[in-house]
Amino acid sequence: MPVDQISEANSRIVIALRGEIDLETAPAVRKALLDNLKGGKDLLIDLAQVSYIDSSGIASLVESLQLARKQGHDVALVAVSPRALRVLELARLDKVFTIHADLASALAVNDKTAQQ
Amino acid sequence: MVATERSASAGRSPHDPLDFAAALSRSFAATRDVDATIRHALTHIVELMQVEAGAIFLTDETGGNLICRASAGPVNIDGLVVPQGHGIVGRSVADDVVLVVENAYDNEAFYAEADKRTGFITRSILCAPMTVGSNRIGAVEVLNKYDGQPFDDADQNMLKVVASSAGLAISNARLAAKLVEQERLKRELELAAAIQRSLLPPADDTLPIAGINRPMREVSGDFYDFFQTPDGIIAFCLGDVSGKGMNAALLMAKTASLFRCLGKTMHDPARLAGVLNREICDTASLGMFVTMVIGIYDPATGMLNFTNAGHMPPLLRRADGVTETFAAEAPPLGILREARYATQNLPLDRGQFFLYSDGLTEFPAGYDELGIDGLDRILAKQTDTRLADRLAAVLQELDETGGQARDDLTLLAIDDRLAAHANGRQMTAAFEDGEFLVGFTLISNPNRLRILRPALLAAATACGFETEDAHDFVLGAVEAVENIMIHAYGGGKTGEITLAMHRLPDGIMLRIRDFAPRVDPAKIQPRLLEDVRPGGLGTHFIRTVMDDASFIPMPEGEGNLLELVKRRRTGQE
Repeated sequence: MPVDQISEANSRIVIALRGEIDLETAPAVRKALLDNLKGGKDLLIDLAQVSYIDSSGIASLVESLQLARKQGHDVALVAVSPRALRVLELARLDKVFTIHADLASALAVNDKTAQQ
Repeated sequence: MVATERSASAGRSPHDPLDFAAALSRSFAATRDVDATIRHALTHIVELMQVEAGAIFLTDETGGNLICRASAGPVNIDGLVVPQGHGIVGRSVADDVVLVVENAYDNEAFYAEADKRTGFITRSILCAPMTVGSNRIGAVEVLNKYDGQPFDDADQNMLKVVASSAGLAISNARLAAKLVEQERLKRELELAAAIQRSLLPPADDTLPIAGINRPMREVSGDFYDFFQTPDGIIAFCLGDVSGKGMNAALLMAKTASLFRCLGKTMHDPARLAGVLNREICDTASLGMFVTMVIGIYDPATGMLNFTNAGHMPPLLRRADGVTETFAAEAPPLGILREARYATQNLPLDRGQFFLYSDGLTEFPAGYDELGIDGLDRILAKQTDTRLADRLAAVLQELDETGGQARDDLTLLAIDDRLAAHANGRQMTAAFEDGEFLVGFTLISNPNRLRILRPALLAAATACGFETEDAHDFVLGAVEAVENIMIHAYGGGKTGEITLAMHRLPDGIMLRIRDFAPRVDPAKIQPRLLEDVRPGGLGTHFIRTVMDDASFIPMPEGEGNLLELVKRRRTGQE
């Protein structure tokens, strides 16, 4: 089960992924991300429990980011493991995504819409 | 109140009491020997006051009893103890007043004990308290004027001046002595710290082991040690003594010395722990104990044997990047004389083994503590070649968080990769260069990737890749297989894919074959980096993590054969 948990906190949707995200598991991840963007909220994707991710998983992350930005929302990554970070770096996407060290600090960032 | 009887002024001393007071202060300032100065001063007071006898009493610093510290006259009463508030001297001190007694034996407060013991007969008494601020230092007492006259106002004033001067001088001398004592203690602590540091083993870059210790105060309750025996085995330990300060430091020194001495002949950590435990139980002061990991490690084989006596769990970062910890199963040393210790055997297999004190895991990190996970994350990041530098970098990283250590910080590391390298030992000893390692056939169903990944990682490790590079190899290989599944077989799940891995002198070669229609290599191009569209990313990963990726020409209808080569980084083997 690549999608471990979906919850809502501080008007953001937190999607915790788990395990290995590859060609086999990426479709479920993609669906969960795109479905949850329909709610019109920012997404936080928790990668703490992700032991493997490759281009299939990265593509899902990128697709959700593109869609979210079109809708005026954001997708940020949380607790990126060194291995997942390595893959993001290889894809030169480590600067494209906002990356938070942990969920607490991600949620501490003020809601954009609340600021405006 | 004590009855006093005054008479006309009697004969005055030839000396000026003010001169005397000044001289007294000077003599106190010039000496650190308070007792000698008191005796000297009393001799002068007796002479000045023209009396048969005199004594200086000082308040004992704990109880408030008065103790005679100097006496002059026909009998010696040095050391006489007058209970608090008793006798003329006790009253004088308690009430902070000058007392004059014309006839001692008519006075109910007179403490006749001294006369009974010495045979001296006290007639008249003049006693002045020595007080500095609220601090009751003691009193000066003089007895029996030579001329037989009672003590008069002039005598009282003179003794008052002399007593307050002496009190101030004694108080100053005591403060000075206290400062000297503090300075001496500080020097001794510095010496103790230097001796402690000398108990730690010197860094030795030829060994695959290193340690670091940073005491929170001058002296540490933590310690570590390691040494190599003539047969090449490395004995090591890391311990943490309960409590802090000098008593902990002394027990630390004792335990470290015992380890170094016994460790030279005893190569079974559990037995060594048993002996240390009984020794500490028998001789350490009650309530003190030592948590400790004791072990031996053979650099030739990578085998490590250890026992954990109530200490923080050792941490093993395996070659595949997985972290394991080993909780203590036996109590600390010095608690239960009959405690049993067991040796655990742990093949390091090119892993890294860490011992640490709780000062590290309890290092403040935000609102929380660093914890074992936090420590593991920092350890995983270290890339310095020298093991000792890696340990120093860990402490530096902690410093940079701005947190303040709440305890001694001690860390010991064994890096089996260094030993494997130095000994020409490899996990791959059974594999030969150029050898075919393993082959797979799978169908193009993505769920087969789960099975494939561990085998790819194991093959890369068998070819001598470090953990991170082995994972890169897995990524590149899986991307290539996924490309075949998506592009060559177009998502169909029945196509066949075969993989074959070879060990190269400097790395690994992976050949991946499919049986789909021919792929035009020109169409497999790395994506534009600005283009985050899914698809070309996998090819980009393959080109980045592999040193070589090329299609081997195949006859029409025979499918495609992709050859991937990844080389070890130079300096790694």
